[in-house]
Amino acid sequence: MEVIVQIIATGLTLGAMYALAAIGLSLVWGTLGMLNMAHGAMMTIGAYLCFYAIGMLGLPIFLGLPVALIGGALLGIVIYELCARFLIRRPQFENTIMIATFGIGIALENVILKLFGAYPTPQPLAVTGDFVIAGVHIPYQNLLIFCLALVLMTLVAGLLDHTRMGRAIRATAQNRDAAQLMGVPVSRVYRQVLGIAGALAAAAGVLISSQATLSPSMGGDPMLKAFIICVVAGLGNVRGAAAAALVLGVVEAAAQYLFGVRFGFATLLVIVIAALIWRPYGVFGRRQIVRL
Amino acid sequence: MMRALLGRKETWLAVLLVAVFAALPWVSGNRYLIGQMIVFCLWATVAMQWNLVLGYAGIFSLAQLALYACGAYATAMLGFFLGWSLWAAMPVAAIVTTLLGLVIGAACLRLRGAYVALLTLAIAQVIYVLIITEADCFTYIDGVCQQLFGGTRGLTRFGDLGFRHLFGYKFIYADFYLALALLIVSSIIMLVIIRGPMGLAFRALRDNPGYAVSRGINRFKYQLLVFAVSAFFTGLAGAVQAAHFKSAGPSLFSPALLLFLLAAIVVGGVGRFWGPILGTALLMLADEGLKEVSDYRNIGLGLLIAAFVILMPQGLAGWSGNLLEGARHRKSSRAASES
Repeated sequence: MEVIVQIIATGLTLGAMYALAAIGLSLVWGTLGMLNMAHGAMMTIGAYLCFYAIGMLGLPIFLGLPVALIGGALLGIVIYELCARFLIRRPQFENTIMIATFGIGIALENVILKLFGAYPTPQPLAVTGDFVIAGVHIPYQNLLIFCLALVLMTLVAGLLDHTRMGRAIRATAQNRDAAQLMGVPVSRVYRQVLGIAGALAAAAGVLISSQATLSPSMGGDPMLKAFIICVVAGLGNVRGAAAAALVLGVVEAAAQYLFGVRFGFATLLVIVIAALIWRPYGVFGRRQIVRL
Repeated sequence: MMRALLGRKETWLAVLLVAVFAALPWVSGNRYLIGQMIVFCLWATVAMQWNLVLGYAGIFSLAQLALYACGAYATAMLGFFLGWSLWAAMPVAAIVTTLLGLVIGAACLRLRGAYVALLTLAIAQVIYVLIITEADCFTYIDGVCQQLFGGTRGLTRFGDLGFRHLFGYKFIYADFYLALALLIVSSIIMLVIIRGPMGLAFRALRDNPGYAVSRGINRFKYQLLVFAVSAFFTGLAGAVQAAHFKSAGPSLFSPALLLFLLAAIVVGGVGRFWGPILGTALLMLADEGLKEVSDYRNIGLGLLIAAFVILMPQGLAGWSGNLLEGARHRKSSRAASES
């Protein structure tokens, strides 16, 4: 019983963090058809911005997350303006943008390495103490992570469903050309989407680093897991990504308990490959019928 | 035969380059230079084979370094645990790598574009994580724990090619000619493939998969084939790497090397025969020249990739090809107007 509570508590915390990382990725894919390989670097930069604001500038602790969100959003917009904007109308966009953002991601990671050094440091945005459920100590930190992730995801869902901007994003995701013909300013939508994704990535980075530590390469592992989650859910399926993230978080926690920590990720991968063979467009993805 | 594959000028250029390159160790016996030339041959081979998958077949696989490492590890393990001669271990390692390439290719068969990139990246990462976190002892050697894959230390002391015995301190020359032979043979076979009907099929599948399939091109067969060919030579390069450096370790998976090779392909020209060779050569020279600012190496390489994708998507090989083409065109049109 205690083990199960422990696994669920750890799994949901992991899942909430992965969900934040995954929905940003999924949103960008759904709208632009772009796989952002710099997503991990955006998480890292968000985490370090929070660290810099609280730990080095001495801002009050509740300002850490907003600073990271704004910084992440700006970074997303910069990536659109300097890179994606030029490639999106070219042939082979899907491959070229992956190569370009891969390069940008590594460059950003190394900028962080240069500025802050390679030593892992703790994230100052953390709460102490814990509470007890069924004999299991659960840190308040886990609760905080879960609640913050939930709030951010609700905000994004509200934004997509109930605002003009959200409607424009959904229209562009459904059919870029039709949306443009209907007067949707498509390039503004792209900019907004990358901004939102950047902010979400930064938030995910802050939360992940508050559980582990800050290091320049911290974005790689959660990015890969976010990828896997998006693949299982079907790239571009935002709600599916959030659901898959929570499920896979619990699965990973259970696999780590059952087979040992080093097999957590390997188990996820086996599940993903099986899922992809069963449904190549993701478990929740719709089968695309391509007209030639 | 070569003239049919490359054209007259390019063939002469290739022969000249190979001759200069092969003669270089005798002009300057600098061991560091020869060592770097060996590294160049290995990296250029891997970059070319990656380009076959990435540029010609249009499959964005990120598992190339995992294949490279597979070749090196298989050689090292056969030599270390079974005591095989490396000459026997190297071809077997290449075949093992081919099998791994086929598995990866099969896993990606039903997927497209971004999904392939994600899956291959994840496969490579899982192999890497499983190797470096390995703690259980496979055997004990002189009472020292030895993991199956060598853990974070990797494998060393698995014998060598016997060149040191044959040639004494000049063994590095033999290593160099082995690496050069690998580069030349793999390039020629790659040329045969891409200039032949198979290459046409790859490019058709890349440019318009739907049309190609409906014209009867078997996607299953060609995709597995391209993965197999690429994996075979990449594995062989890994085997030569292991034999030359006498070690195989997790540094083969390093993201810096992945970045370097991808940058070499992009700078040289994706989907161009000369691209990866040109890119590897230029970037290695740049590395030598910019040793003082090596802290900024990865930042520079990353930005270089992005800049080339945006500003010069055909790479230097494509750009210079266009220049030559343009010059020839101007010349012929001038000739036409004069006559």
